[in-house]
Amino acid sequence: MTSTLPRRSVGQRVKRHDGDAHLTGQAVYTGDVTVPGTTHAALVRSPHAHATIESIDTTAALAHPGVLAVVTGAEIAAVTDEIPHGLDAGHLGGHHAVVRPLAVGKVVHVGEPVAAVVALTPADAAAAALLVEVGYDLLPVVLDPDAALAEDAPLLYPEWGDNVIIAREVGPDDFDEVATSAAHVLDGELRGHRGNAAPMETRTYLADWDSRRRHLTVWATTQNPHVMRTVLASTLRLPEGSIRVIALKIGGSFGLKMYGNREDFIAPVLSRLVGRPVKWVEERSAALLPAARDQRLAYRVAFDDDGRLRALDVHAVSDHGAGAATHGWGMAHVGALATGLGYALDHCHVRYTVVATNKAPWVGTKPFGKESATLLLERIMDRIAVTTGLDPAEVRRRNFLAPDAFPHTHTSGLELDSGDYAAALDLTLELLDHPAARAMQSAARAEGRCVGIGLGFELMPESADIPGALVAAFDTSTVRMSPSGQVTVLTGVTSPGTGNDTAIAQLVADELGVAMSEITVVQGDTDLCPYGFGNISSRSIITGGNAAVLAARDLVATLHTTARAMLSAGPEEAIVLGDGMAQVAGDPERALPVPAVAGAVHTLSYLLGLDIEPRLESTRTYRPANVRQVPDELGRMNTYTTYPYAVHASLLEVDPETGSVTLLRHVVTHDCGTVVNPMFVDGQVTGGVAMGIGAALGEELVFDADGVPASTGFKTYLLPRAIDLPRVELGHLCTPAPGTPLGAKGVGEAGFSGALAAVVNAVNDAIAPLGAALEATPVSPPRVLAALLEAGQ
Amino acid sequence: MSDPTTTSTVDLTLTVNGERRTAAVDGRALLLDALRDGFGVTGPKSGCRTGDCGACTVRVEGLIAKSCLRLAVAEQGAQVQTLEGLATDGALTPLQSAFWENNAFQCGYCLSGMLFAAEDLLERVPSPTEGQIREAISGNLCRCTGYDAIVDAIASCAGGERPNDRPGGAPA
Repeated sequence: MTSTLPRRSVGQRVKRHDGDAHLTGQAVYTGDVTVPGTTHAALVRSPHAHATIESIDTTAALAHPGVLAVVTGAEIAAVTDEIPHGLDAGHLGGHHAVVRPLAVGKVVHVGEPVAAVVALTPADAAAAALLVEVGYDLLPVVLDPDAALAEDAPLLYPEWGDNVIIAREVGPDDFDEVATSAAHVLDGELRGHRGNAAPMETRTYLADWDSRRRHLTVWATTQNPHVMRTVLASTLRLPEGSIRVIALKIGGSFGLKMYGNREDFIAPVLSRLVGRPVKWVEERSAALLPAARDQRLAYRVAFDDDGRLRALDVHAVSDHGAGAATHGWGMAHVGALATGLGYALDHCHVRYTVVATNKAPWVGTKPFGKESATLLLERIMDRIAVTTGLDPAEVRRRNFLAPDAFPHTHTSGLELDSGDYAAALDLTLELLDHPAARAMQSAARAEGRCVGIGLGFELMPESADIPGALVAAFDTSTVRMSPSGQVTVLTGVTSPGTGNDTAIAQLVADELGVAMSEITVVQGDTDLCPYGFGNISSRSIITGGNAAVLAARDLVATLHTTARAMLSAGPEEAIVLGDGMAQVAGDPERALPVPAVAGAVHTLSYLLGLDIEPRLESTRTYRPANVRQVPDELGRMNTYTTYPYAVHASLLEVDPETGSVTLLRHVVTHDCGTVVNPMFVDGQVTGGVAMGIGAALGEELVFDADGVPASTGFKTYLLPRAIDLPRVELGHLCTPAPGTPLGAKGVGEAGFSGALAAVVNAVNDAIAPLGAALEATPVSPPRVLAALLEAGQ
Repeated sequence: MSDPTTTSTVDLTLTVNGERRTAAVDGRALLLDALRDGFGVTGPKSGCRTGDCGACTVRVEGLIAKSCLRLAVAEQGAQVQTLEGLATDGALTPLQSAFWENNAFQCGYCLSGMLFAAEDLLERVPSPTEGQIREAISGNLCRCTGYDAIVDAIASCAGGERPNDRPGGAPA
């Protein structure tokens, strides 16, 4: 029997349990850890985008004071195996890229590491790295994905025979059959741009190889400590059990710190080679190398006079950059799966081609390719509105799946569980005061000002489970109560700053009826926590949270049985836990403090004649049901378990003289099912909106003609600052995830996609009276001006 | 016996969070690195080392400063206050409490910059507008929150009435 007391903290704006540690500078991040005898690594990076490595002369570097070792890629390759792939394109009809910690034989992008220096101080390591002389033989560079697909293109990996990492199709290829009966067919191209996760903390590692124990301890900025250990063991040729990975507080991640990046291996490999602790801190310029979202989407869409979609055909060409062992290319696949999701669209075909170019590779980045699908559909909705003369909101309303349409299998195979998209649209328009906003726009236009309103509907498949990959929709938590009633939760999910540890403590506190202050949550340590997949795919509460709830209920059963014996409660009497007490329901006089019951479980089990295992510890795994990996007759699977969504509206003004965009308002209605902590959900959504607006307005990785990045810091890669952003106005709906204990859906990627789409749509709405359109991102001043010039303005 | 390096250390004396201390630091070290490595004060974080993100913010002689833009030896004898020195005897400042109540941070990496910039603003402008608050923290980057919660936390510590000078500002 479980607690019958009402939930106390779920749904409440509970503060971060570790807030004071953060606010007083006591929270420990990886870079704050010191180990006696620590040495420091620096990398020698390629200045060329494409070249063979002819020679590496380490003599001068080795002679530099304080230098312990200079190691080349070939030397590391001799003692390691290649990095296992998170999602191997080679297993799915594409090409397998061999990736090692440092480059071997050739470099394929600027910044690729070719050698490493270990020295006693960071300054000496950096100085010596400059003394390593690498002889390069330059090769032709290919930076444009279309050029890379040409017959005579230079090849990054000649053994492949082309530059295609993978090319696949999603959905039935039936556009032409359907389009003949549609009233309208439009075609177009949408060009995305190269963005970066840009957490405030760059990747940082401290690896300590103990040669006597043959044991490696690695403090790492990783979202996935257990999986990192699995792949480290493979690459370093060590048993998994002789490695401990510890993820402490993380200064943001947004995908950058997913496992499989070669950066994860540098300090561990070097520590093993030199036999000393090695620290390596990524430079900001290097942290701005990994990329995402650089896609060109060519499309054809068929629709009727009433604005209803009939068919969509898309070819996405992704500028992936160099081959990688991460899941990065999977963003093109997920973008294809998510295309058209949430709309009534029976004919949707997406072909995607992921192309290798001489840039640093894609790495999984929030919101993992789904933003491209959102932007595409939302541009299409607005184009349909223009063609049909309907209001953009009405076009969306007519195309949304109805609330009674669930479960709904999309053409890609994803199975939507629940939602009320039209209600979210209505609430957003109400919060915006849509008629007033349109009136304001008309008045502004009469004055010659360019004011625009844009909508963006995002639907995020979350909580992924990829068959054969270490990306799972389930996770594991342990709950343990000590004789003094102290509760420890150990979980396989991690928090890169989101606060899910606090939310998990809330869930456990409610189940056990104890105060939050009695609960400690331990995450990120492979020696302490159950094996888990860490922080991926917005699933920490769904998986780690639900698992902790199940485990806590096991403890509740033990506490009930024990309290029943201690309180001489009859079989007809119920025991309830709450306010730190175990009491006979309806009889407050017969009550005991929970610690007294916990103590009795540990010390009085024989005396009390308990006919149970006297155990106040349980490990449980929660695996959501809504996954289908046996392909259906069309070969489709459902690899995502929850489907949160949002509708955004952006109101902004474009200055036609400068091309600059000023956001006036941004409204978003969000639905992630049951909310455990509204304050944290608001924080996730608002942060996501800010990131989406940043991507829309200006964040862009740019390169010169030789492939040298020009975006090397925060003066050249422009993150949004407080003055760049409007206040995000939030509305909430709650459609609980059906068939789940909590009803919660993922929220970690919320806000980004719809904000990106709403801003791009609003800019187009603003400049439409000038005859201009902009089908490329970012909508930065140069691009806006170019669009206006093209329109003759 | 020490290992040979190119480092020539300098004895740097600072009053760090009220305590006069001396540490041997690399003569080339930035104030940020001297505090973290020499004095073991890790509240200031390294985010960009170019003065753009503000995660390394401290007070030097009472004025807020990005410690990645200062040479440590140039601050010989200075009073330095870091994130660790804001709360006294375990009691959070009103701004720290407001940041906690408003969930004005997620990963926490930007807190040195945000808290010092906020404190500096309220000392100069006790009742700032939302626009003034946003301006004051715009030397600092936060990638997690979208800033609204930070703005709210700072506003809650302001004295008196606060005119709304921003479109889309919080409804009353």
